[in-house]
Amino acid sequence: MTSVRRRLVPYFLLGPGIIWLILFFAVPMYFMARLSLYSGTVFQGNLQFDWHWANFKDSLDLYHSQFVRSFIYAGAATLIALVISYPLAYAIAFKGGRWKNAMLLAVVAPFFTTYLIRTIAWETILSDQSPVVKVLTDVGLATNGHVLATAGAVIAGITYNFLPFMVLPLYASLERIDPALIEAGRDLYGSPAAVFRKVTLPLSAPGLVAGTLLTFIPAAGDYVNAFFLGAPNNQMIGNVIQDLYLKQTDYPAAAALSFILMALIMVVFVVYIRFAGSEALMGEEARP
Amino acid sequence: MTGAWRWLREHAINIYAGLAIAYLLIPIAVIIVFSFNDPAGKYNFNWVGFTLEHWRNAFGISDLNDALKTSIELAVLATVISTAIGTAMALALVRHEFVGRRPANFLIVVPMATPEVVMGASLLSMFLIYGIGLGFQTLLIAHVMFCISFVVVTVRSRLIGFDRSLEEAAQDLGADPWTTFRKVTFPLILPGIVAAALLAFALSIDDFVVSNFNSGTTVTFPLYIFGAAQRGIPVEVNVIATLLFLTTVCAMLFTVWQQRRAERMTQARPQQEGEPAIPIPAGSAASG
Amino acid sequence: MSLKPLRTTLVAASVLAAALALAACGSGGIGGGGSENVSTVTVTGKPSGELVISNWPLYIDKQTVPDFEKATGIKVKYIEDVNDNAEFFGKMQPLLAQGQSGGRSLFVVTDWMAAKMHELGYLQNLDKSAIPNVEKNLVPQLRHPSFDPNRDFSVPWQSGMTGLIVRTDLAPEIHSICDLFNPKYKGKVDMLTEMRDTVPLVMKSGCNGNPPVDLSHATEQDWLNAIDEIKQAAESGQIRRFTGNDYARDLTSGDVDAVIGWSGDAVQLQADNPNIKFVMPKEGCMLWSDNMVIPVGAPNPTAAEAWMNYVYDPKHQAQIEDYVNYVSPVQGTKQVLLKMDPSVANNQLIFPSASFTKNCDVAPTLTGAEEQKVTQAFNAVVNG
Repeated sequence: MTSVRRRLVPYFLLGPGIIWLILFFAVPMYFMARLSLYSGTVFQGNLQFDWHWANFKDSLDLYHSQFVRSFIYAGAATLIALVISYPLAYAIAFKGGRWKNAMLLAVVAPFFTTYLIRTIAWETILSDQSPVVKVLTDVGLATNGHVLATAGAVIAGITYNFLPFMVLPLYASLERIDPALIEAGRDLYGSPAAVFRKVTLPLSAPGLVAGTLLTFIPAAGDYVNAFFLGAPNNQMIGNVIQDLYLKQTDYPAAAALSFILMALIMVVFVVYIRFAGSEALMGEEARP
Repeated sequence: MTGAWRWLREHAINIYAGLAIAYLLIPIAVIIVFSFNDPAGKYNFNWVGFTLEHWRNAFGISDLNDALKTSIELAVLATVISTAIGTAMALALVRHEFVGRRPANFLIVVPMATPEVVMGASLLSMFLIYGIGLGFQTLLIAHVMFCISFVVVTVRSRLIGFDRSLEEAAQDLGADPWTTFRKVTFPLILPGIVAAALLAFALSIDDFVVSNFNSGTTVTFPLYIFGAAQRGIPVEVNVIATLLFLTTVCAMLFTVWQQRRAERMTQARPQQEGEPAIPIPAGSAASG
Repeated sequence: MSLKPLRTTLVAASVLAAALALAACGSGGIGGGGSENVSTVTVTGKPSGELVISNWPLYIDKQTVPDFEKATGIKVKYIEDVNDNAEFFGKMQPLLAQGQSGGRSLFVVTDWMAAKMHELGYLQNLDKSAIPNVEKNLVPQLRHPSFDPNRDFSVPWQSGMTGLIVRTDLAPEIHSICDLFNPKYKGKVDMLTEMRDTVPLVMKSGCNGNPPVDLSHATEQDWLNAIDEIKQAAESGQIRRFTGNDYARDLTSGDVDAVIGWSGDAVQLQADNPNIKFVMPKEGCMLWSDNMVIPVGAPNPTAAEAWMNYVYDPKHQAQIEDYVNYVSPVQGTKQVLLKMDPSVANNQLIFPSASFTKNCDVAPTLTGAEEQKVTQAFNAVVNG
């Protein structure tokens, strides 16, 4: 192969994918932005492009509480997921031994059932009549035998559904830690707690960053959990966007809200990456 | 007593891991158990009695079958296309030098971290503005789009760990680059490609949010469930979900077994004790 | 990877430029309302071929479609994908705006949605010569509705009443819409997402110290006031959920004591659990009809009209009615059912007497800016 052709090979390999992603991921964002500036609605038959910036203010006025709520729920779920996942990932990475693969499979396998059915299964498990709820009420975690249609149920659902997004990156970075470093730490610090704090935890930072982002961001836009497990006052911004697009066909307002959500997510993304180090997300990029 | 206490402390984390995994599997157990239920009315929420009727009659509901057929066709096509595109991209990223690496990486990573609501809504915005009819084609476009990133990351992580001395050996023996690729490289990275394809398939068949926005009147399996959720999900849905789950788990196990074989064949470098066979991309799992 | 600002900006800028260029050729795909001239179906020849129908779920018995296929030789594809008027509109609108119907020749939507679709030019007028049974048998009170005074484009499929459906074993004292606001039932009531059922009921029931509204003179402010009452109930957790048909699940499981629901569902639910009963609210109910309409771009309007004619034969209607249990728009059905299944014929919910529905109203129509404002306000409440 000639040298020139050799140099062109990567572009041919990358080409289709990059074009597909640009055409169907990046460009639609532009169209969503454009749609958010339309005025009127389909229902009134007067939809048109109008530089109608008022859409942003109007829809925020109506739905700002859902935005706040979404970030709170997603944040809570991410935190809980982190607390649940870290020891689990640690156990698989360091204590797994022969069982590593089986455990990883067990973590990932549940997510081979349909997302909707999993969530509906939680509806069954948490319904007022179920034994689980009775136990929770006795323990004091639930008020008056009523778990469904509460914020708690929604957060629990989100946590469950996004757990692998937290476990797997954490596992990946924990597993990559050179055992020699842990050995050295033990010699230096003695107590297991100190070793953990000074050696393991910092070395697992890339996984923490990736896991947190990959959990928080999709969770903030989720609506399935709130739809099945929540009450009207637990609805998230995803529910609103879905409703406005698909039921009310109020496209301009829907597009405006979606655009704002994306902008906020981008801000979180960029800030987090700046703060935590951009290498973290592209773990593999540390090597060529 | 101290002996037992110490045993507990040493194994605490393993016990915890066991509990966490049990928690992950609870809804799956509920889904499977309720596929054997014989509900009195339309709603499959309370356990009534055991029956094999719905298993025997699993494909008895024509709407459900149509939806399932559509989902499978969609998933197969999306998998083939996205795996081809994604593998090519991964090869380019790992093996070649080119301009624009960082923007390319960015473009690949961002879709994985974008809320599905935003991806679905923006595609819908574009299709609406262009007046493109929603249906199977638009679904396919959307599915390929979100699968590409996951395929790239999965294959890339396999490629990075790949030992190139075998390729060098082949070339020393006189093989040209294309033959080397065909006879040495490709068979060895095949397990990684298969794993990526499996992931893409699972993502596609399970997708709800993006499909909800871009399907128009076409019904996929998750969309069927969403529609049926209002008036009672037939037990056959649980049966099919269980079947899908078992199939995917078996496929995963098969892939793992194949990888073990492949790795044993390429014992060019000493394997770390307990290194997992499942490729772990920086955060990915089948999800809604 | 460090986000090299300049390079990324350059890439983003070029993508944007490309997109703008693409957008320049983007046409007004959305909201291009149907044509100004409403087309009329002309029935040609003997009905044949394939007929695709979209209807609400559980709105037909199992025998009618096979019987129709045998009688006419038309092959029917019956799709139950209308779960909610607005949702169905959202799904169909992009197609209808292009003059297409997604393969469907007939669908069934509620009065106000039929009116709206007609207004937007998405429906065809009917060829009345092909539906003599309708002309003959349509009940008098449905012949001249305000939204379609000559029944040019719609033919009722079923009518119904919206009222209270109650678990009489859990909450026997509920007899009024206002009872749903009683803190005693906090978190144990559902209301409908269908705005034109829920809000007019609250308006005319005069709850929470507000005077009852005369629906024939309801103003925008009346709507907004009622929506505000509902909003407070939702925010305080008084209302458990806003639902479509799925209130049935909450009632069956006992998660709620009472809901605003539809009469036909109550009949079916009662068969499964005798404690679930339709309760006519003290202040009266809402009356509505679901209508068969033929959209623009319908592939087989001739067959669609044959269907309409077929179901307006009292014998065939009785068969449907026996299963569906809503209020039949076809005269002569009761007589047939008296012989077939007297319990259905004598059921007040299926053949209501005038006195039973004396306080019932049809939902007032909303148009234009008023409609948009009220709809947005209600959506904001339903979406929390």
